[in-house]
Amino acid sequence: MTRDEIKDMILEIIEDIDEEAEFDQLDPDAPLRDQLDLDSMDFLDIVMELRKRYKLQIPEEEYPQLATLTSCVNYLEPRLKDA
Amino acid sequence: MADYQLIIIGCGLSGLAAGIRAARFGRRTLILEQHTVAGGLNSYYHRRGVLLETGLHAMTNFAAIGDKRAPLNRLFRQLKLSRRAFVTHEQIGSEIVFPQLRLAFSNDFSLLEAGIAAAFPGCMDRFARLVRAVDAYDPFAPAPWRSTREFLSSILAEPLLEDMLLLPLMVYGNAEEHDMDLGQFVIMFRAVFQDGFFRPQGTIRDFLDMLVAQFRRFDGEIRFQSPVASIIRRHDRVAGVVLADGEEISGDAVLSTVGIPGTARLAGWDLDVAAHTGRMSFMETIALVPARSMAELRHDRTIFFYNLEPTFSYQRPDDLLDVSWGVICFPGNFQGLEAADPAQVRVTNAANYELWQRLEDDDYRRAKERWSAKSLAAAGKIIGNSPADIVYQDSFTPLTIERFTAKAEGAVYGSPRKIRDGRTPWPNLFIAGTDQGYLGIVGAMLSGVTIVNQHLLGS
Ligand SMILES: Cc1cc2nc3c(=O)[nH]c(=O)nc-3n(C[C@H](O)[C@H](O)[C@H](O)COP(=O)(O)OP(=O)(O)OC[C@H]3O[C@@H](n4cnc5c(N)ncnc54)[C@H](O)[C@@H]3O)c2cc1C
Repeated sequence: MTRDEIKDMILEIIEDIDEEAEFDQLDPDAPLRDQLDLDSMDFLDIVMELRKRYKLQIPEEEYPQLATLTSCVNYLEPRLKDA
Repeated sequence: MADYQLIIIGCGLSGLAAGIRAARFGRRTLILEQHTVAGGLNSYYHRRGVLLETGLHAMTNFAAIGDKRAPLNRLFRQLKLSRRAFVTHEQIGSEIVFPQLRLAFSNDFSLLEAGIAAAFPGCMDRFARLVRAVDAYDPFAPAPWRSTREFLSSILAEPLLEDMLLLPLMVYGNAEEHDMDLGQFVIMFRAVFQDGFFRPQGTIRDFLDMLVAQFRRFDGEIRFQSPVASIIRRHDRVAGVVLADGEEISGDAVLSTVGIPGTARLAGWDLDVAAHTGRMSFMETIALVPARSMAELRHDRTIFFYNLEPTFSYQRPDDLLDVSWGVICFPGNFQGLEAADPAQVRVTNAANYELWQRLEDDDYRRAKERWSAKSLAAAGKIIGNSPADIVYQDSFTPLTIERFTAKAEGAVYGSPRKIRDGRTPWPNLFIAGTDQGYLGIVGAMLSGVTIVNQHLLGS
């Protein structure tokens, strides 16, 4: 997947988790959770969804690397290059 | 490979919510339910073509669409249900009635504040301090038991107000007699006073159908009329369940929503069953009253929480029933509902399981008649008249509750001692629902979700 595809995929997962999600003002370098008002249970859903879709196992100590949209893309790019 | 990755015992609200969570993320999940329908304590039955609900007075934890942190909306996200598509009817307003005073409350917290300000003029600063303490308290962090009664009297020092605030919170969500754990008080204070009451559109059946459909959409399986007879133990783990007809089903993990005493029996778990059996049970009488006769009753509220005595004590009564305090609910009195004819009145009082259990067939039937009449008469003191011209009446007792939900001694709120983390002596057997500790409809569902998230989705 390209960086743009990964970004779209993340936003699509969030949209799927939260019907209220608004991306117009989203700052790709600021924490997703604060901006979208998501809690840790929602965050777990993003991780679970990535696992379900791409068989990706993300260890808990690496969750911080999924904090912002940009850091998500950075983290996922090498792991999804063949996806 | 096991037949299922997760076997859930019980298709009540906690089991359904747990099932949706697990199935949503691809776990092969089976729910086993002893009855022909879903819902457990909150289910329904038909009499004379009318659908009667067994539990639902009101759902707690009302939250508007868009309030993302509210428990109700978090729950909907977790279950991947659309909150926008879920139509709610808020309460008209409810009232706490003591001989000395009436306090009204609604989903607008300022109504309660205004009532307290008028009746206890010197107390507003103290009440504000109570609200701040509730707001600051994290009821989900592990903490030792703390007395709510002591907490309230140290802040409010107003025994009447303390009793009045406790009545609705205890009767809608306290498994202990007399006192209440502070964490549970905070959960209930938010759920009832700060968030408030509502009803989903339609009946509890529609609500259950929505949950069952969601579970099946994720390929979850349910088997009704399938009572579990035992949980299979192998070495230091559990390996599945045996049904009453002898069929064995294997599972990688088992989640039980049938309470601590029930789970202990199924798994051969050696614990102090008496200490985990709740003493609070109730009798509820449902009366269907022609709309024209409703005019004789004061029915401008959704729910009355009444006490005919000057002080309130929450305990198993010495008699079959204690009609000196209770709940009177008009399930038709929610905003935007069309007036039903006949209309429903439900009266709920604390009941003594042991005494009901001693009665033989005919005595039991007669006691039910006698006490439901007393219950309606007591309600009449609050709403002006007892319901008259009743076209249909039914009551359920602690025995009915025990028979239909397998809750030990008909204890609606289960064990006074909860297992907050859902763990048992076996690493792959978990408890969710009433005896995990989150109570009520919204609570039971959050319990199912939380336990699956904590223990079953990680690995
Ligand atoms: C009269 C009454 C009024 C209430 N009113 C309200 C209200 O207005 N608002 C509110 O929020 N809450 C209300 N409640 C409380 C609410 O109903 C419960 O807190 C909630 O439904 C509990 O859900 P649960 O999943 O934990 O347990 P349960 O509903 O008890 O589910 C357990 C399920 O397990 C099944 N089961 C048991 N043993 C076995 C076995 N061996 N094999 C297979 N299946 C088994 C049972 O049949 C049941 O379906 C009320 C309860 C009662 C009794």
